[in-house]
Amino acid sequence: MSLSRALETGDLAELPSRRDEDWRWSDLRGLIRAIPPASPDASARGEGPFAAVCSETMLVINGGSARIHLAAGEKKTIALRLISRAEGTSHSADVAVTVAEGAELTLLESHESFGAGYITDVEMDITLGASAVLERVVVATEAADAIAVTLARVGIGAGSKFAQTTLAIGAKRQRIETRLAHPGAGAAVRLDGVYLVGEKRHTDLTSTVTHKGEGGTTDQLTKGAVAGQGRGVFQGRITVERGADKTDAKMGHHALILDDRGEVDSKPELLIFADDVACAHGNTVGQLDEQAIFYARQRGMTLAEARALLTEAFIGEVIDRIEHDGARDVARTWASEKLRGLT
Amino acid sequence: MAAVKKTVDQVKALEAYEHGFVTDIETEFAPKGLTSDTVRYISAKKDEPEWMLQWRLEAFERWLALDEPEWANVHYPKIDFQDAYYYAAPKEKVGPKSLDEVDPQLLETYKKLGIPLREQEVLLGVQGAPKYAVDAVFDSVSVVTTFKKELAAVGVIFCPMSEAIRDHADLVRQYMGSVVPVSDNYYACLNSAVFSDGSFVYVPPGVRCPMELSTYFRINAAQSGQFERTLIIADKGAYVSYLEGCTAPMRDENQLHAAVVELVALDDAEIKYSTVQNWFPGDPVTGKGGIYNFVTKRADCRGDRAKVSWTQVETGSAITWKYPSCILRGDGSSGEFYSIAVTNGHQQADTGTKMIHLGRDTKSRIIAKGISAGASSNTYRGLVSTNHKAANARNFTQCDSLLIGKTCAAHTVPYIEARNATAHFEHEATTTRLSEDQLFYAQQRGLSKEDAVALLVNGFVREVLQELPMEFAVEAQKLVAISLEGSVG
Repeated sequence: MSLSRALETGDLAELPSRRDEDWRWSDLRGLIRAIPPASPDASARGEGPFAAVCSETMLVINGGSARIHLAAGEKKTIALRLISRAEGTSHSADVAVTVAEGAELTLLESHESFGAGYITDVEMDITLGASAVLERVVVATEAADAIAVTLARVGIGAGSKFAQTTLAIGAKRQRIETRLAHPGAGAAVRLDGVYLVGEKRHTDLTSTVTHKGEGGTTDQLTKGAVAGQGRGVFQGRITVERGADKTDAKMGHHALILDDRGEVDSKPELLIFADDVACAHGNTVGQLDEQAIFYARQRGMTLAEARALLTEAFIGEVIDRIEHDGARDVARTWASEKLRGLT
Repeated sequence: MAAVKKTVDQVKALEAYEHGFVTDIETEFAPKGLTSDTVRYISAKKDEPEWMLQWRLEAFERWLALDEPEWANVHYPKIDFQDAYYYAAPKEKVGPKSLDEVDPQLLETYKKLGIPLREQEVLLGVQGAPKYAVDAVFDSVSVVTTFKKELAAVGVIFCPMSEAIRDHADLVRQYMGSVVPVSDNYYACLNSAVFSDGSFVYVPPGVRCPMELSTYFRINAAQSGQFERTLIIADKGAYVSYLEGCTAPMRDENQLHAAVVELVALDDAEIKYSTVQNWFPGDPVTGKGGIYNFVTKRADCRGDRAKVSWTQVETGSAITWKYPSCILRGDGSSGEFYSIAVTNGHQQADTGTKMIHLGRDTKSRIIAKGISAGASSNTYRGLVSTNHKAANARNFTQCDSLLIGKTCAAHTVPYIEARNATAHFEHEATTTRLSEDQLFYAQQRGLSKEDAVALLVNGFVREVLQELPMEFAVEAQKLVAISLEGSVG
C-alpha cells in the first residue's frame, strides 16, 4: 500500500489512510479523491539551489528515472534536481544511488516546484558499500497545494557513514520518509531534519532505522517550527534487533509552535530487543523562551526580529551539523528566508 | 536498606507466584457462552432495574458490531468469546450483611492471599488496626464490604456496584458511561454488556474520605472471566484515595479480565487511584496460561482545579493492555501517572497513559518505569495532547526501560499532539540494561548477584514506589522482586 502503487494502478484503495498506524497523521486516502492524469514532458527551469556549490547536476523532471553510481574509491558531489513542472497532474520518479566500497558521495537533492496542484511521488534506493560515505542534503520546496511523497530505502555496509539532513516547508500533504537498514559493524548514521511550516501546509518527516548487527550508532536530530495552521509531523522509529548489542542510538525532536493555529504531532519510538544498548530519545514541544526574547528586545531588536533570530538559532543547531560547507551555507540561507515568512 | 533486606528475604521465602491456589467452593455459573440471554441472566441475577438491563443489551448489540483491536504490541491466539463463563459466583451466602455470614472458606482464601497484613486484619475485623475499608470481589460478586457504616456517617458511599445500581440509581445513571462511553473500545463495550461487581464510591462535597478505600479482586472459577466495573465520584472539594489489588489461581488456560474504571473529579476534588496488579502471569517457562488483562481506566477532571493521580504496579498477567488516562477538562486541573511495569517469562505488557489537555492551565506528569526480563515484552505507549483552547498546557514525561537478559524486549511509543502555541511538552526516554559497574560494586560489597539486582531495581523504580500509600509500597516492592526471580544468571 503506497502512493506509488496507487499512481501505478489507478486504484484509490492502495492509498494509505489514517487507519494505517504509520500514516495516522498524514492521511492520503481522505485527501485524494481521484488519481490525476500523468504529467506531460517538460523542460527544466532555473538552476536549482545548489548550482553555486556543485558542478555536476542530474535532472528528473515530472517523474522518470535516475541512476547514480560511484565506483570504489571515487569521490563526487552531485546535485540531483527533482522538478515538478505540472498543473493538476501526477508523476513518479525512481532514483537508484550506489556508492561502492570506500567511495564518497555528497548528494545535494532539491525538490523544486514550478506548478500547482500536482501529485509527486519519489522512490529512492540508496546502497552504500563497506566504508563508503554518503552525505545527503534534501531541500524540498513544493507548491502549497501539492501532494508530495518521498521514500528512500537505505542499505549501508560495514564501517560506512551515512548522513542526511532534510529541510522541508510542507505542501498540502508532504511526507519524506527514510527507511534504513543498519548493519551495526562500526557503521555510523546521522539522520537530521528541519521543518518550517506555515500557511496551512503539512509536512511529515518519518524515519525507521533498524539495527541488525552489533556495534552501530545512530544520531538523530529534528527541529521544526510551525505557524499559521501549519502542521508538522515527526515519526521516528529506532529498532534494535536481537543480537544488535553495543548499539548507541539517540533521537531528538524539538518543535516550536509560533502561533495558536500551528500543530505538531510526534511519535519518537524505540523498539529494543537487545539488552546491551544505550538508547534514548528526547522530545519537546513549546515556544520561544520569553526571557531570551526580552533580552533581545532590551538590546534594541523589535519583537519580530527577536523571534526570527531566536528561531533561526534554534533551527541552526541542525543546519550546523551539515558537513559540506557549501551545502550548509545554502541550507542556512534557505532556512532563514523561509523563517522570515513564518515569523 | 531495611526495606531492601526485607525484599530479599521475602524473595527467598516465597514461591514465584504465591497466590496460585484454588478455593474449592461451590460456584454458580451462567450458561457458557455469550448471547443476549447471558446478558439478561447476569442482570436478573443481580436483580437490576429495567434501565440497567436495556443499557447492557444496547452495549451488547454495539459490541457485536465492533472489531477486536490489533494495534497493541501484544500477540495471542484469537479469543473464543463463546468458550467462557461470564458469571460465576460462590453459591452460598452471596452478599452477606456481616462478616459472620461470610463463608469461612472465603475468609480462609483472603487470609491465604497475603494481602497487606493490616488490610487483612481489617478484613477480619481486628480491633485497633489502621482503617482500610475493603470491598472484596470474588469472581462476579462482592462478598464483603467493610466500614460501610463509618463511611456513611460522613456521607461517603462505598459499596459494590450491584448495590449502587439499586440504592443510588440517580448517581449511577448520571455518571456511569460518562467517562468511558459504552462503545469506547471493544473490551469496554464487552464490559458494559456483561459487567458484574466492582466498587462504587461517592464522596460528597468538601469531604476528605477518612480512610483509604480498597478493592481486592480475585478470579477463582475456571474458564470464567472477570468484568468488574468501578465508578468513583469525588464531588466538589472532596478527596479520596483508592487502592486496588488482584490475583488469580494458576491455570494453564487463559482467562479474560476486562474491567472498566471511571473516575469523576469535580471542582477542587482529588482522587488518588493506586493499583497493584498481580494476576497469574502464566507459566514462566512455557508461557501457558495466565490472565489477559484488557482494561479501560479513565478519569475525567470535570471541574476546575481537579486532580487525579494514577499509580500502578503491574507485575502479573500474561498480557496487559491498559492505559489509565486523564481528561483534563476543568481549568487548572492536573493529572499524574506513575507506573512500574515488570514483565518476566513470556509476559507481554502494552501499557501507558493518555493525558488529554482540554482546559486552560492544565498540567500533567508521567513517570513510567518498565522492566523486562526473561522472554517478555514490555511496551510503554502514551498520548499527550492539547486542543487549540488549552492555553498553557504543561506536560512532563519520563519513561525509562530496563532490560535484564538477552531475550527480552522493551519498547517506547509516545504520541504527542500539540495544537497550541502556549503548550509546553517535554518527553524523555532511555533504554538500558543494569549497569555492570553498579552490579560489580554491590557484589564486591558482599551482596549476591540476585540481591544486587534487587537493590538496583528498587533504586530504578523508587520514584514510583514513593507515590504509593505506605502499605502498598511494601507489597509492591516485594512483588517487583518476586516477579524478577530467576531472571538473573
